[in-house]
Amino acid sequence: MAGATIDHMISLTILIAALLVAMMTYNGLFATAVDYDRNRQVANKAVDLMNTICLSPGNPTDWGETSDTLLGFGLQDPEAGGYALSPYSIMRLLPSESEILNYTKTGTLLQFSNVSMIQGGFLGVPIAECVNYTSVAELLGVNGSYGFRLNIVPTLSVSITEYMPNPLSLEVEVRGPGLALSNATLQYVLCSVYKPEDSDFPSFESRSGIEKTGPAGSKVLEFDPPLNGLEDTYSIIVYARLGGLVGVGYYSHGTIENDRIIPFIENFEQGEILLVHNWDVHEFPGSPSALHFNTTFFGLTNNFELTQFDITGETSGLINSGVSEQAYARLQINPSENGILFVSYRTGNTFGIMMLPWGVSTLGVSASFGVDPTGYDFVATELRQVSIDDISYHVKVSTWSLSG
Amino acid sequence: MRTVEVFFVIIILLGAFAITTQFAVLPSPSQAFGTNLRELSQSTLETLDAQGTLSQTVFTNDTDAWADLQKALSASLPPNIVYNLNVYNLSTNQDDVVTYHLEHSISDANLGADSDASSLLVTSPDVTFNQDPQKIGGTEHPITLYILNCSDANGWWITGYTGQSLAADIYDLLSPYFTTTVLINDTDDLELLLENSTSLEGTIQNAVVVNPFGEAVPIPANYTQTGPQHDEGYYLVDDGSHHEYYDTYSKYCYTLGAKTQQYNWTWVSIVGYPLYYVSNTETFTESSDHNGYGIHGMIQVGPPGLNAFLHGLDGQNYDQWQWNGYSWVYGEGSIATDIDVVQFTDNAIDKCNYYGIYPSPSPTASRALPTSIETAYHLNRSALIFKIKEQAGKDYSAAATYRHTGGAIEGGALTAIGLTRIPDVRVTALALLVYYNPTIYKTVFGASGTSVLVTLQLGQQGGT
Repeated sequence: MAGATIDHMISLTILIAALLVAMMTYNGLFATAVDYDRNRQVANKAVDLMNTICLSPGNPTDWGETSDTLLGFGLQDPEAGGYALSPYSIMRLLPSESEILNYTKTGTLLQFSNVSMIQGGFLGVPIAECVNYTSVAELLGVNGSYGFRLNIVPTLSVSITEYMPNPLSLEVEVRGPGLALSNATLQYVLCSVYKPEDSDFPSFESRSGIEKTGPAGSKVLEFDPPLNGLEDTYSIIVYARLGGLVGVGYYSHGTIENDRIIPFIENFEQGEILLVHNWDVHEFPGSPSALHFNTTFFGLTNNFELTQFDITGETSGLINSGVSEQAYARLQINPSENGILFVSYRTGNTFGIMMLPWGVSTLGVSASFGVDPTGYDFVATELRQVSIDDISYHVKVSTWSLSG
Repeated sequence: MRTVEVFFVIIILLGAFAITTQFAVLPSPSQAFGTNLRELSQSTLETLDAQGTLSQTVFTNDTDAWADLQKALSASLPPNIVYNLNVYNLSTNQDDVVTYHLEHSISDANLGADSDASSLLVTSPDVTFNQDPQKIGGTEHPITLYILNCSDANGWWITGYTGQSLAADIYDLLSPYFTTTVLINDTDDLELLLENSTSLEGTIQNAVVVNPFGEAVPIPANYTQTGPQHDEGYYLVDDGSHHEYYDTYSKYCYTLGAKTQQYNWTWVSIVGYPLYYVSNTETFTESSDHNGYGIHGMIQVGPPGLNAFLHGLDGQNYDQWQWNGYSWVYGEGSIATDIDVVQFTDNAIDKCNYYGIYPSPSPTASRALPTSIETAYHLNRSALIFKIKEQAGKDYSAAATYRHTGGAIEGGALTAIGLTRIPDVRVTALALLVYYNPTIYKTVFGASGTSVLVTLQLGQQGGT
């Protein structure tokens, strides 16, 4: 009797041990399947978000060009369709990481978000007219369930560096994510600023040309008549084309240190621009100088040539940080024209130039929207190629689950 | 003994596990991650063709252009993505069988098994593909399309639209099929149309007249009660007995029917019960001049409107009023009825594909007309859009064109779309196109050398 009981106990112990081992093994199998299924859901959500963002213009379809309330989110260019994004809708995205600039000289507190650009370019958008991450997440139906981040970057990197200062020559290098682009067509416009003898307001003259990159994907540009890169103030914009890809790069050189004019977009729908003194939004040692300025708005043609359009309002004048009547200037451009606003300014014999892109593509501005995915276990990414007013861009959407 | 049995159980358990794992090959959770290569491929093709560069390259043998395309592909795709781009020439033989011949191929690596592809049909930049509709009536007897766009009239049963906005939509849809399209911009112009005035553009005889105001129809001021031509638009029902008077604008609808027959028009009602109201916002300004639903400048005619129109179309006398014991009734009274959901005919489905117009194939018809009107008014039903539906022993048609072909006089037609609101003018366009059946002249896409199919296959290297 005792032998049978011991036999039962041993067999039961072995059976329970075997069941536990089997359950643990199956558990691992099921856990893998559950993880895969969860990750698959996140990956599918990434595709859904990408399709909505790239293949829908949103509601209203022209929301990027108006001040209407956004009812549905999407960035597709309603006039072009397909994988073409609206350069105006992207401008209204409140960047994820950006400097907030306050301006009070108009009598009310105006807040702008400074989209990061290299020297010579500035894109300051009014926060009140931008859409933020929370509202977009709600419109996309992912608020609280999924997080996402949207990155829109030019496909081609067109970098311009000073090759020789005097006489000025500039080296242009064109690269894609994969390799450098040889034989790419470079179409450039260089604007140099000077003071006319009969006016206090600066003016500029332009040089343009067409070149091709060499085997290393670069080209040194020389100019005739020559410029002195140490003393002259200039901006150059280069459009690079190859096999259907189009990229843009720019470079500016000025002789003024901190006395700059900053162009803020005050109203998207009306194309209203507010020109302010750099000292009124940043702090510097010393005292500010009064700046004589002049403005020109260029639209971009289908052949990537600049054509001048009219501006209304204070197109030239004096901006003096210390005098309230001259603290700022307002002007208005045609909001439906994709282009670049050139603001040239001077104090004494020093000059500066600032470019405001109207439509992100004209100066190849990148956009980053959403929250940081750092810390999440699984982040699905989705990549597409798009064109924004014929400039080639990559769009990347990173998505992750917020439910753990 | 028990221990031996337990060992048997363990062997069975392990065996089951081994068999399960052998067949249940679960993917690694990391495999869920990965770019949608098909969409990336599609977006790449579209981007490269945004300025027509891809179209130009695939139709040329220029080695530099192909080298540039290869560089563009390599430069635009992430380094871990490999590609294979194939270009197929399309040709169509006499039996309309399309064949694909590989013309060009560029690739930067072997793709392996984990790849996806998309395609883009590219047409030669040297070839223009035309799609020219035949003009209705041809060049010898061109038919004019008149669209009522009266600024001094309101519509009803066109929820969400105005008559003027629908007129613009109809213009966009149908004007390519007509030599001349004329918008009738106010009721004064409408009077010119009714009186066959030569001051109007186009040819009034044999014209198509579309009324986009839904159940309402604009009425010129001169045809109203106080106008000089009130006898063609207004009628006071009075048989001299003790019955109360009844004033009605069904006489105007009768005039419209008579004019439709006289000028051999095709009168088109786009939605709802035809001719249920008359509207003139300049004349009907009394506080009582509304349709009962808040739309002013409008007076209800009711079912007598359509009945009177059909009497006019058939050349019958106007006065068909009868006292039924409690109210005046014109002819058969209310004839249109609700038959719920209706279905496209096979012919209508074919024509949707032919003309590229795709309204809903199964809408609700709340104002369908009985087929009995065909014998009562000498009408020949053609261009049936929805299948005939039986209800309470009677057959009903939701949308068709009724040609007046018998009786004492001939000529004229009524296209009646008896669907419920919200109106879909694509059904109207389809009904007219099915009725007139104009040919679409298309350039053949399959002609050799005019179209190529570009496929871009992408693969991801380094695992997923």
